[in-house]
Amino acid sequence: MPPRLRLSAQRAFISTPSTHVCLRLRRFASSSAATPEIYDVVCVGGGPAGLSLLTGLRNSPVTTGLKIALIEGQDLSKSRLPENASLDSFSNRCSSLTPASVKNLQEIGAWSHASAARIQPYHEMQVWDGLTDARISFDWDSARSMFSPRNLAQSTTIAYMVENLNITTALQNRLAELGGVDTFSSTKVESIELGQDTEELDLSSWPILTLSNGKTLAARLLVGADGANSPVRTFAGIPSRGWDYARNGVVATLKLEGPGRGGPDHKIAYQRFLPTGPIAMLPLPGNMASLVWSTTPERAAKLKSLQPEDFAAMVNAGFRLSATDLEYLHTLSSGQVEEIEWRKQHTTTNEPSLPMTVTAIQPGTVAPFPLKMRHADTYIGERIALVGDAAHTVHPLAGQGLNQGQGDAAALVHTIEEAVKTGQDMGSLLALESYNSARYATNNAMLGAVDKLHKLYAIDSGPMIGLRSLGLRTVDALGPLKAFFMKSAAGGA
Amino acid sequence: MAARKPPLALRALSRPKLSHRCSRRPPTTLSPRSSSTQSAPKSSVDPTEVSHFSNLASSWWDPAGPSRLLHLMNPLRHTFIQRCLSTASQSASPQRLRYLDIGCGGGIFAESAARLPGTASVTAIDPTAEVLKVAEVHRRRDPRLMEPGRLTYVNTSIEELAVPRAEEAYDVVTLFEVLEHVADPAPFLSTILPHVKPGGWLVLSTIARTDVSWFVTNFMAEDVLGIVPKGTHDWRKYVNEGELRKWFAGQGWGTGGAMNVMGVVYVPGLGWREVSGSERWGNYFFGVKREA
Repeated sequence: MPPRLRLSAQRAFISTPSTHVCLRLRRFASSSAATPEIYDVVCVGGGPAGLSLLTGLRNSPVTTGLKIALIEGQDLSKSRLPENASLDSFSNRCSSLTPASVKNLQEIGAWSHASAARIQPYHEMQVWDGLTDARISFDWDSARSMFSPRNLAQSTTIAYMVENLNITTALQNRLAELGGVDTFSSTKVESIELGQDTEELDLSSWPILTLSNGKTLAARLLVGADGANSPVRTFAGIPSRGWDYARNGVVATLKLEGPGRGGPDHKIAYQRFLPTGPIAMLPLPGNMASLVWSTTPERAAKLKSLQPEDFAAMVNAGFRLSATDLEYLHTLSSGQVEEIEWRKQHTTTNEPSLPMTVTAIQPGTVAPFPLKMRHADTYIGERIALVGDAAHTVHPLAGQGLNQGQGDAAALVHTIEEAVKTGQDMGSLLALESYNSARYATNNAMLGAVDKLHKLYAIDSGPMIGLRSLGLRTVDALGPLKAFFMKSAAGGA
Repeated sequence: MAARKPPLALRALSRPKLSHRCSRRPPTTLSPRSSSTQSAPKSSVDPTEVSHFSNLASSWWDPAGPSRLLHLMNPLRHTFIQRCLSTASQSASPQRLRYLDIGCGGGIFAESAARLPGTASVTAIDPTAEVLKVAEVHRRRDPRLMEPGRLTYVNTSIEELAVPRAEEAYDVVTLFEVLEHVADPAPFLSTILPHVKPGGWLVLSTIARTDVSWFVTNFMAEDVLGIVPKGTHDWRKYVNEGELRKWFAGQGWGTGGAMNVMGVVYVPGLGWREVSGSERWGNYFFGVKREA
């Protein structure tokens, strides 16, 4: 038995690579039939990171001469806000845009294309521990040191709550205004292969994309802005490592009893750390707010199955009741409204420090999605650059994912500009090195910090609870330290 | 081995066989240097240098290979040329420039110059057939460089290149990391002059001949650290910036401040950086304008 096993294993081992080679050769032969159209930049993926990259390239006078293509598998017109969208209704996919991201969007001329009425700046964050109630509040006023006067020139905005659709709409509008991008919407990438070395040209280092519309494109630089399962990353053979958190993020759009405790001009974001993960409520315009509740997949499924009024009651309970109460409430299939009403009477809460009561859930907005952390080993390869989720996926508890993608796009625009100015081949590893070194360490630090925060707060017993409460109280008492954290969160440090 | 970081300035080209470190006799003018390799009177090219660069051909375009420091320096060459073109530009410089790159090697600069939007054409020459082959092969990887007339490689020395009529000469003639490998710089530079169009620029880079540069490029980089292949540099061939200024002034070039210099230093972990004053003891760029 053992020899035979070994033999068959060996045969499998030998035959796999050879069929692979045949396949490649055959694909080579077929791709040579159509001469590929040569592009400087081919971006796969028309999400916020890819659109921001292309808008930046088209906006810069240095890179305006580049030949650029955008390929998006979905219909790009579906990632636009509906005309005259009502302010009583918001998408459940929102991001907390940092001032640094907003500045970049302003510089590339996209921010003014966003629907301003649908953007909600916020000025304060309340963060507390669900087990000990240790609390930290962030606002620029309390972050200054005791002796330095308030800097009036400094914006009091911590970040801006924006629907992702509003960002992609703004970028699409700006890109349409700039023009000059060959856009293939609702078009899939069928295959990516390296080109051929022929009499006239050696394209053996160039990725050749075959599209579902039959076109073939050769890319001097192929940008993977194609999400967490990036086919471009797979083509480049760049490993992506990380783990799943065994947590789901439940999102929903909420209607509150009022515009918030600080009124319409001083909006507050709330985040409470529960043993199952953080529950966060982020302000939207008017009486609306956006929910991100990280919890176990079982509880996420339960929450999703509830009637809207029970779900709303659970959100209110998530910010007010004890971990033990919440555990019990998740076992009920219905009737949370009454159960929570009764329990609230037996719980002392400090209402002014809590978010306003949720009165309704916008229909169809409750959605769970799995949380994971992934980081590619590198963002670059020969004629390859990765941006956004293709390069890194982060636990959303600090709301940094979309911001990181915007930072990637801005950095890659800068790298390409430098290459064009000095005649470098922008697809060469040498030219791309500066992009990788500008972004990798920054993103890695953010991924690490968010991951550690998650792990620290996912512990519900033992000495770590005391320590983390001490941590929150200490940070809260120290203005300058808080300022440092806030600047980091705002993308300024 | 010294635990020290590679010091300030480095030369990146690699490996000839002969070295004369032991007999340092700094010449003070651009007079012919005594050398045992003067066998080819018609050419400035030292035959031992030619064979040396043939050995390098295969690794020329490897970004992690022995030419890495040259690749990293290349963007600064364009920065310096832009600076030259923007100084003393009373005669409206033509929209699209014609370049002549002397000693182009594997084409690191020639390719980059040919990609610039403001370039009409690049003629790149090198006496070493093998490295030109590397350049030709590598050029085929970029369709833009294969556009007719954009980039032309010629296997020749400057002495054998036909002297053009003044109006057909080049807007920018470049001579990067070559002068320190030339046996006799003054006649060599004289041969180059007629290839520069009146009002055009000759731009070169080389290394100052000082105790510091000997210590850094020969002793530290080659002998101690080994990051530059041993035998790359003959320190006695180095030329100082003051010597160049004097010589070109003697030819009536670069009047009215049309002579630029920029000292650069390689800082490990950061790359090449412009360091004002370092032209007196390390790597430097030198640009001079021909009278219009």
